[in-house]
This record gives sequence, C-alpha cells and structure tokens, in this order.
Amino acid sequence: MLSALDRRHTVAPPGYSRWLIPPAALAIHLCIGQVYATSVYKNSLIAHFDTGQTAIGVIFSIAIVMLGLSAAVAGTWVEANGPRKAMFVSACFWAAGFLVGALGIASKQLWLLYLGYGVLGGIGLGIGYISPVSTLIKWFPDRPGLATGLAIMGFGGGAMVASPLSRQLLSFYDSGYDPSNSGSTASGSALVWLFVTLGIGYFVVMMFGVVNVRVPAADWRPAGFDPARVAAKPLVTTANVSAANAVRTRSFWLLWVVLFCNVTAGIGILEQASPMIQDFFREGGTSAVSVAAAGGFVGLLSLFNMAGRFVWSSTSDVIGRKPIYVVYLGVGMVLYLLLALVGQTATALFVLLACVILSFYGGGFATVPAYLRDLFGTFEVGAIHGRLLTAWSAAGVAGPLIVNAFLDAQGEPGTLTAAAYRPALFTMVGVLAVGLVANLLIRPVPQRFHEPAAGRDEVADGQPVAAERSGS
Amino acid sequence: MNERVGGGQRVRLVVSWLVVAVLLGYGVVQTLITAAKLFTQ
Repeated sequence: MLSALDRRHTVAPPGYSRWLIPPAALAIHLCIGQVYATSVYKNSLIAHFDTGQTAIGVIFSIAIVMLGLSAAVAGTWVEANGPRKAMFVSACFWAAGFLVGALGIASKQLWLLYLGYGVLGGIGLGIGYISPVSTLIKWFPDRPGLATGLAIMGFGGGAMVASPLSRQLLSFYDSGYDPSNSGSTASGSALVWLFVTLGIGYFVVMMFGVVNVRVPAADWRPAGFDPARVAAKPLVTTANVSAANAVRTRSFWLLWVVLFCNVTAGIGILEQASPMIQDFFREGGTSAVSVAAAGGFVGLLSLFNMAGRFVWSSTSDVIGRKPIYVVYLGVGMVLYLLLALVGQTATALFVLLACVILSFYGGGFATVPAYLRDLFGTFEVGAIHGRLLTAWSAAGVAGPLIVNAFLDAQGEPGTLTAAAYRPALFTMVGVLAVGLVANLLIRPVPQRFHEPAAGRDEVADGQPVAAERSGS
Repeated sequence: MNERVGGGQRVRLVVSWLVVAVLLGYGVVQTLITAAKLFTQ
C-alpha cells in the first residue's frame, strides 16, 4: 500500500491541472500552522499539570527545534521519496503527536506531552513544511514565488484557524470554560478531547493533500513557458546544485544570515505584540489600550503576517528575489526606526508600522524557497530549504532573547513605556542591516558546484530522465 | 490556467479549493472579529 505513495506512482498524467497542487500544499500547511496557536490552551495545561510557564512553554520550543532539525535531516529523504509519501508521513507524525499528547494529559505525564506534541509533532511539522515546496516550484517554474507564497501563507493561516477553533472546542467539551475570561482554564478531560479532535481532524484534512498532490512529468512545462527567459534574469540559474554542495557555497550561508536576521527582527515584535502596544501608550501607569484591544492588535498582525506571505512572495516573481529582500530589510530598518522614534505618537501609526513590518516577516519566509530555486535550481531545492530552516530555529531563540533581555533591564512588566523598547528596536535595526549587507553580497553559485548533466537529471518511474531545462 | 480540465478533475478542483477556502475563511473572519476590538474599545 505504501508503494502507492512513492514518487514514481505520483507522476501526473497528461492534462493534470497544476492548480490542484496549491490546495494540496495548503491542506498540509493550514494544519501544521496550528503550532503558533498553542498559547490558547497554555494556561489550561499549566493548571492541569500544576506546573509553571516554563515547563509548558518548553513544549512549543521542542516542537520548533524538532521542526528545524527534521527539515534539515529529512530534506534529502523528502526529495527522494516525493511529496505524497512525505505528506503522509508528516500527517502520521502530526496526528500521532496530538494523540500521544492526549495520552500524556489524560495520565498527567508531562513527559508524554513533550514526546508527543513536542518530538513527534515537531517531526511532522518539519517534514510537512518542506514536503510541498519543491513540487510547487516544479509545477510553477513561471511563478515560483506565487506558488510557494500560497502554501506558506497557509502556515500563517493555520494559527488563525486553530486559535478560535481550539477556544470553541474547549468551550464545547467544558461548559465551565469561558474563553473571553483570561483567567478561566479548561478541565483536563476537555484538553484530552481537544487534542484527540485536532489530531483526527488534521489527519483527515492532510489526506486531501496526500490524495491530490502529484509531481509533474520530467518533460512537462506550462503552456507558453520558456525556461530561457526565466534564466535571463539576474541570479537565476538553469544549472542545478545538490543539497550537499549547496551548504558549501557562500551564497547559501549569506541567505541563511538573511533569513535569520529577517526572522529575528520580526519574531521580536510578534512575541511581545500584546504587552508592547499597551506599553507604548502608557501614561501615569495606565495604558490607553485595553487588554481586549491589544488582542485585536495581535489578530491584525496575524492577518498581515499571512497576507504578506502571498503578496510579497508573488511580487518577487516580478521584481526579483534580491530586490524584494532589499525591501524587507532596508525598508524594514526605516520602519523599525520610525516605530522606535515616533511610534508612540498615535495608535494608528503604531499599528500601521507594526503591520507592515509583520508583512515583511511573513514575506521573508515565503520568498526564500523561490530564492533558493533561483540560486541552486530545482534539483534538490526542498532539501536545501530544509537545511536553511535551521536559521528559523536559531532566530526563534535569538529574537525573543534580545527583546526580553533589553526589557528586563528596563523595568518590571506592566510599568514599561515606549522608551523602554528603544534599545531593543535599535538593535533590531542593526540586525536588519546585517541581513541587508548579506543579501547584497549574494552572488550566483560558481560553476564548480553545479551538478554534471547526469547528476541533475530527475528520476521518474524509476528511470533517469532529462531535467526541466533548455540547455546552457 | 492553460491546462485541459476534465469533468472529474473540475469537481476535484472545486472541492479542494472549497475545503481550503472554508478553513481560511473561518480563520480570517474569526481574526477580523478579534481585530475589530482594537478599533472599538
């Protein structure tokens, strides 16, 4: 049965619509994006296990670290076995993570929650995140930014689906739980049923992706597409570089720095969004922004984070990958400066600046697969993407560390004002400047790293076939 | 969309995009309801 999942059995027949691939990818990313909605039941888990913030918060950290590690380690396996098997394995790990986690909650064994949601779920996250990327790039050689932007937009959208859904499910399973009251916590049995429901529900939705995903035949090209025209753009190669060789190139590590800097800066705001808007408009110890309004601000940031993934990544197909990162990083520096210097003058200005910054954060995630395609070709772009995602794991630690370290030095939470954020925001301007310089230093990959003609061929139906290219 | 799309495939396309649209639409609407509190409170 599992052989039906192999790459050679998933080659699309003639006439297969490539527009079935983005919803297949979205089915995966909308589910695994749930990882950013764990805060919804965090307090309930703390109460159930009678433990502290850190003991529960570490579940999320384990999952994100496992995301980076599994994407890096399993990237080559994903390339070799194809998107259908990768999506299926991802769905199994992701669902198993919830079910083992539910067992941990039911038996009050916290380590089972770490093992389930953190380790197993984290592996599902990493494999699921990269599973559709190279397939989308191969189906949309004419618009790779749009295709990967659509899929990775789903990851941002996943949290927007999971947050309200989890609140409503907890209310359904525990009538005493009031999601509008931040002090209310759900019972252990409600948490167990939430995890079971999410595990089964996500598995079913992810199967939509498994059933619909196909790889294009090796000689397939979209109607009217001329690879030579794409290759004529600066930095875009028609050659192919293996994942093993890619990590030996300067461009790979420069792009690693670019992603790390962009994510570090964005995640700093994202992690601190709710208290930040209240602190910026605090006078005489009282904030003009209510807790509910701050929650609305976080929701607005989620929308811009998601929209930026699609809009900016699609724009990169028109203006090019390097220029769009100049925008993310260069304009981002200006926006951070404005936020630090004049952000406290008006709520609307503060919200506008933060929303555009978060759209750049999302855009940075969504554009990077297309940037990798431009630099290294399509041969093992999924595996290279997996290795690059270690920058995300590192930034996930660095961003909050930088912001929290500066804020801790400025005073107690609830007493901070806009001035307390300036050192952290100025530091982020510096971080973005480093990323900007790294982006400007990116050059085409030297020919010595290119695969020879036989090596860059792709395998379909078990036979080597000519890769999708037009000479050079 | 230049590909030839048969009847069965058309149904599959509609269902696939519908599932995605329902999920995303639910998330966007719920988030907008939350975000509205920023401007109403």
